[in-house]
Amino acid sequence: MSRVKLTDVTKQYDDVTAVDNMNLDLKDGEFICLVGPSGCGKSTTLETIAGLTKPTSGEILIGDREVTNLPPKDRGIAMVFQNIALFPHMDVYDNISFGLRLRNFPQEEMDERVEEAARVVRMQGMLDRMPSEMSGGQRQRVAIARAIVRDPDVFLMDEPLANLDAKLRVNMRTELQRLHKQLETTIIYVTHNQAEAMTMSDRIAVLNKGELQQIAPPLVCYNQPANRFVAGFIGSPSMNFADATVGDSTLDANGYSISFDTVAIDGVGTGDAVEFGIRPEDIYLTENSAEAADPSRSFSVTTDVLEPMGDEIFVYLKPILGTGAGEADFEEREGLLMSVDPSSDISEEEDVEIVFDRAQLHLFDADTGDAISHGVVADADVEADSDGVQAD
Amino acid sequence: MSIDARNHEDAETFDGSDDGSDDDENKSPVQRWADDWIRNPEKAYAVMLVFLGGVLLTTSLFPLYWLFNVAMAPPGQTDIPIVPATIDLSAFVQVFVQVPFARFMFNSLFYAFTVTLFVLLIGSLAGYAFGRLEFRGKTPLLFSLLVLSFFPPATLFIPLFRAFNQQVPMLGLFTLPVELYGTPGAVITPLSAFTMPLAIFILTTFYGQIPDGLEDAARVEGTTRIGALFRVIMPLSAPGVATAGILTFITVYTEFFFSFLMTGNSAAEWAPVVDGVIAFQTQYTVRYDLQAAASLIAIVPVAILVVVAQDKIISGLTQGALKE
Repeated sequence: MSRVKLTDVTKQYDDVTAVDNMNLDLKDGEFICLVGPSGCGKSTTLETIAGLTKPTSGEILIGDREVTNLPPKDRGIAMVFQNIALFPHMDVYDNISFGLRLRNFPQEEMDERVEEAARVVRMQGMLDRMPSEMSGGQRQRVAIARAIVRDPDVFLMDEPLANLDAKLRVNMRTELQRLHKQLETTIIYVTHNQAEAMTMSDRIAVLNKGELQQIAPPLVCYNQPANRFVAGFIGSPSMNFADATVGDSTLDANGYSISFDTVAIDGVGTGDAVEFGIRPEDIYLTENSAEAADPSRSFSVTTDVLEPMGDEIFVYLKPILGTGAGEADFEEREGLLMSVDPSSDISEEEDVEIVFDRAQLHLFDADTGDAISHGVVADADVEADSDGVQAD
Repeated sequence: MSIDARNHEDAETFDGSDDGSDDDENKSPVQRWADDWIRNPEKAYAVMLVFLGGVLLTTSLFPLYWLFNVAMAPPGQTDIPIVPATIDLSAFVQVFVQVPFARFMFNSLFYAFTVTLFVLLIGSLAGYAFGRLEFRGKTPLLFSLLVLSFFPPATLFIPLFRAFNQQVPMLGLFTLPVELYGTPGAVITPLSAFTMPLAIFILTTFYGQIPDGLEDAARVEGTTRIGALFRVIMPLSAPGVATAGILTFITVYTEFFFSFLMTGNSAAEWAPVVDGVIAFQTQYTVRYDLQAAASLIAIVPVAILVVVAQDKIISGLTQGALKE
């Protein structure tokens, strides 16, 4: 158990910056997920912590030790790899005890520890199997046993579940959480799967293009994304975005306008270009507008494609056609995605009325993408009068 | 009667006079034979394979048989019959009595083992670097190794001989501290250098194929890079290591030029097995029977090695080629 601290860690490959000025401060026993799209530098960050890659600049602390220039074996870490990386020429026992043998543990203690580690991952009685004789899930469990047997300060996991099938992945996810509860070791977990990140971690670190975007508990990343990237990356299906301009007391997008109190929000003034985002579940049919904390006025839209998921239905909406907008404009704009209750009576190509929950409307700076506000405070007036679209 | 006609349901309705048998009767045996082979080319291939194999076996095994024949002939007999008149294996014992032939063989085996060990050790490090690391000038370096291996070793004999024997400064820069001539060093150093390029090429191919994850895993678990090389990468490249090792071993064991010229003529002076065979020839006598027996004995270690390791060599050579 140890805290991990990265200070200004940068890794450059020739002219590509894989990790850019990364600062992370992980608490003892924390389960941290590094998430981001492919090539965002999350694996490189993990490799620098592991010592497999040397950072171009910056400093890494594990516990109270500076480990920036230490080889991996002296860092007190253990790692689980995406491709599992069991040694194919060794049986399960030899794989698990590999690190112990290198450290010259006495035979009895080695046996004890291997037994214990095998018990934790429920692989007792399979110690004489070869990796080629096991299924993917079993191999992954052996890899985890190999990591826990040395009782490391920090676990590093590089997409350990990526190569497993969907059912096994969910299964192993639960087991990893159980393991974390049991061992209380700091875990740094890299994944591009945001569902894994949301469900398992204490905090999520969202990375993009080598830069840390936000590090916060999962629900904070979800409800108060620090910028447009985090807002778009966390959550499935993704948040809806649209360009808009701030009016006197309205937010004017192409084709619709939402009234809000400009004064109540710092950092925006009339005429500012912003981008607003709203999650599919924060769009309601007008008949259900009572469920929204702070419904906006309603808009007429036409449904496009339905995706019934069982517990909800994803409804793709055709773009809202502004009165003054031409055909070309219509083509260019993206449709909205909303999520409705499966009991809703909704069909394709149907005209429906929708409202946005203004309490869940996110505003981002159009240039920097930084979040300005999460939720726009409503005007006193209820916007019942305006029906449908409103041109700028 | 063709197979088709016989198995066909309608065959019965032909009243026994089908066309196939008529054709066969009209043709000569050679024609029928040719027809059969055209219809079943695999028969032709099988026959050709047996024939080719026979030729190869005869040309490679007959000399060994002839050596055996010579060894069976009484001393001084030059007229060797195709079948030995008597089977008298005493020559094989006589070889060890008359000269210290065991020591000659030991010398050659010692060279082969030592050079193989050296080459595998240093070649592994080089193979690791070429196969798994990215560094500036990697391709030119590998290419220059290839060029070096094309160099005829004989051209380097005179300068090396002078440096080893006459203490001439190497490259005009330094003199070797001890006289290497007549010691194992005089054979092991040049032969290691000459067999190294091929071994490096084989090992580079194999080490390059081991997934990075395995090396990373070993390093996280507690090895250094070198440790990962010897504990994980090398065991997983066993066919490649075996191939490189065996090829080196055979090359050095059968090497004549350097091992003969860089050492004295007596077993105590680290002379190789060739000197042991020549030792049966004096100014006035030549014991061909003993020379033949000695030659056969000298073949045994390599023969055993090849028989034991042949599938490793084959898988090693083809695996490297297929996985490119």
